Amino acid sequence: MIEVKSYDLKDYSIFNSDKKSDFLIWQPDKTYIILGRSNRVTEDSVHADIAKKHGIEIYKRPSGGEAVILSPNTLVISVKLPLHNEIKTHHYFKLINNSIIKALSELGVKQLGNKGISDISIGAKKILGSSIYRKQQTLFYHAVMNISEPVENISLYLKHPKKEPDYRLGRNHNEFVTSLKLEGYEFSFFELSNKIQQSIAALLLELSS
Amino acid sequence: MKYIFNFPDIGEGLEEGTIVEWLVKKGQKVESGDLLVTMETDKVVAEIPSPKTGTISALFGKAGETINVGDALVEIEIEGVAGEDAVKEVEKGSDMEAVEEEGAGVVGTLELAGKSAVLSGSAEGVSAAESTDESAKKKVRATPVSRAMAKDMGIDINDVKGTGPAGRVTKDDILNFSKSRTKQTSSSTQKTSVETQNHVDVEPLTQIRKTIAKNMIQSKHNAAHMSIFDDVEISELDRVRKQYKDSYAGNGVKLTYLAFIVKAVTYALKKHKSLNSEMDTENDNMLYKRYYNIGLAVDTDKGLVVPVIRNADALSIKEIATQIQTLSEKARDGKLTMDDFKDGTFTITSYGSIGGKYAVPVINFPQAGILGIGRISKQPVVKNDALDIGLVLPLSLTVDHRIVDGGEVSRFLNTIMGYLADPVTLVME
Repeated sequence: MIEVKSYDLKDYSIFNSDKKSDFLIWQPDKTYIILGRSNRVTEDSVHADIAKKHGIEIYKRPSGGEAVILSPNTLVISVKLPLHNEIKTHHYFKLINNSIIKALSELGVKQLGNKGISDISIGAKKILGSSIYRKQQTLFYHAVMNISEPVENISLYLKHPKKEPDYRLGRNHNEFVTSLKLEGYEFSFFELSNKIQQSIAALLLELSS
Repeated sequence: MKYIFNFPDIGEGLEEGTIVEWLVKKGQKVESGDLLVTMETDKVVAEIPSPKTGTISALFGKAGETINVGDALVEIEIEGVAGEDAVKEVEKGSDMEAVEEEGAGVVGTLELAGKSAVLSGSAEGVSAAESTDESAKKKVRATPVSRAMAKDMGIDINDVKGTGPAGRVTKDDILNFSKSRTKQTSSSTQKTSVETQNHVDVEPLTQIRKTIAKNMIQSKHNAAHMSIFDDVEISELDRVRKQYKDSYAGNGVKLTYLAFIVKAVTYALKKHKSLNSEMDTENDNMLYKRYYNIGLAVDTDKGLVVPVIRNADALSIKEIATQIQTLSEKARDGKLTMDDFKDGTFTITSYGSIGGKYAVPVINFPQAGILGIGRISKQPVVKNDALDIGLVLPLSLTVDHRIVDGGEVSRFLNTIMGYLADPVTLVME
C-alpha cells in the first residue's frame, strides 16, 4: 500500500492565507502525483508499484479531478478568489482559463481552445488541466500546464482515467496530452509565468471591481 | 416543519456528484450557512451550506456514493410553530418576522427545495423558490400563521390584500377575506371559479417531465430543425427477420426490425459523418465523432427516456437486439443509470409500434439528427413494372440544418433505405 499524503505543497499557503484574492505560479521541485479529493483507491488511478519504485510522493488535493502529475517540467497555476454569487462554477473555469489562453496567445501559441469541462488544448490535444475547490465564500482554482514533461511519463505513472471528456475519444495519455515543447514552443519559466501573472492579475482586478 | 434539501446543481450543468464527506451528523443543530457536506463533480469539489437553520433529521447517502442533481441530500427539522401555539404566537405579533423570512409553514408539512436549484456561493444557500420559480418571487408577504390559516381554509393567500406592516397578510386579513368570500359564494362568479377548480387536477411536475421539457426547449431554441420523409419497402428484411426470429428467440433474444434499423443507421452514419457530429459554437468547431452511440427513445409510463447503445458499429445485429431488449426492460422497470443515457451521437425514435406513420421528431440536442420509425403496413407497390403487395416502412428524419445541408440529408436517408431494402448488405459491410 502506497502512502498518500495530505496536500501541503507550495501553493497550500495561499489556501489558508487571510487574503481574499491571491495567486501563485510555480514550478514543482520534483515529480509528484496528485490525487483528486474523492479518489479513494490510489491503485485505480495510479501505477502505484512504479511510483513507489521511483520514489514518487503522492498527495491528495482538496479540489476535484482524478489524478495529475506535477514535475519541474510543468507549471502550476493556483488562484484564490472570493465567490461571486452570480457567477457559476463553470464560468470561473472559463474566466481563468481564458486569461491563461490570452497570455499564451500573446506569446505566439496558436490553436488554443477550451475543451472538456476545464481543459486548455492546442488543437485536439490537452496542454492544461484544472480543477476547483469551493469553500464557503472562497474559490480555489488549481491548474497544471505541461511545458516539457515527456508525455510517456504520464502513461508511466497514471492509468487511463475512469471518466474522460468527449474530445479525448478514448485516446491514451500519449495520444491525448501534449506539451508546449512538443508543439514547438520553448519559453523560459520567467517569460511564461510573467505573462500569465499579468493576465490573471488583470482578471482578479476586474472581478474585484 | 421538515425541510428536504436536494442536491443542487453546483453550476456545471452536470447531473450527478459524489458525496465526499458529511460535515454534519443526524441530530446536529445547524445554522443557515453552516457547511453540510462536501460534494465532488468531475472537476469541482464544493462544500455545500445549509439553506436553513434547524436540526438535521436525516442524511441521504454515504460518503463515496454518487447521487443525481435533484435527489434528496439532507432533511432538516426547522423549528416552527403549529396549531394552537401558532395562534398564540400570532397574537403576540412581534416575533413573527424572523420565522416568516424562512418561509416556514406548520409542523407536518414537507417543503422541498427545487430540484433544479443552482447552488449559490452565498453562505445563506439558496431557496429554489427564490431562484427558479417566477411565481415564488412574487410571493406575498405574510406571517406563518396567516399562511397556515389560509391553507386550512382553502384560501389562496395571493388573493388576500395585506394590511399589516409592509403589506403583510395578517390573521385578520385572512378572517375578513373568508367572511367576504362566504358572502359571495352564491354569486355566479364564485360558482364559476369553484367549477373551474373542480375540473382541473393539479399534479406537481416530476423530475423526468422537467428534464424532458428542458431538453425539448433547448433543442428547439438552439437547432434549426428540418425534416424529410420517405417510405422504404422492406419485404426482404421481413423475410430475413422471420427466418432468424425463432432461432434468436431460442436464445432469449427478440429479433425486432429496430435491430436492423440501428445497424443500418450506424453504417449510414459512417458514410455521412456530418450526421454523427455536433456543432461547438463556443469554440467555432465542428466535432465529428468517430464513435457511434445510438440513442433509442423509449416510451415508459413515467415519460420518454433515451438510453444509448454504445459503439453500435462494432455490434452484430444479434448483439444490438440483445441490448435493445435489455435497455427497454431497464427503462420500463425504472432501472436505467446515468451511464445508460450518456454520450449518444444520434437518436432513433420508434413510435410506429404504437401508431402513426410520420412525425417531426425533435432532435436530441446537440446531436445532428433523429430518425423516426413509423407504422409498418402492407401497401400496393410497383415491383418490376407490376403492381404487388409491399411491406412499407415510413421514415421521418429531422436534422439540424445548421450542420447538414439538404442534399446530404437526402443521401443519408437513401443510404439507410438502401440497407433496409436489401438487408444482406448489412452483413456484407
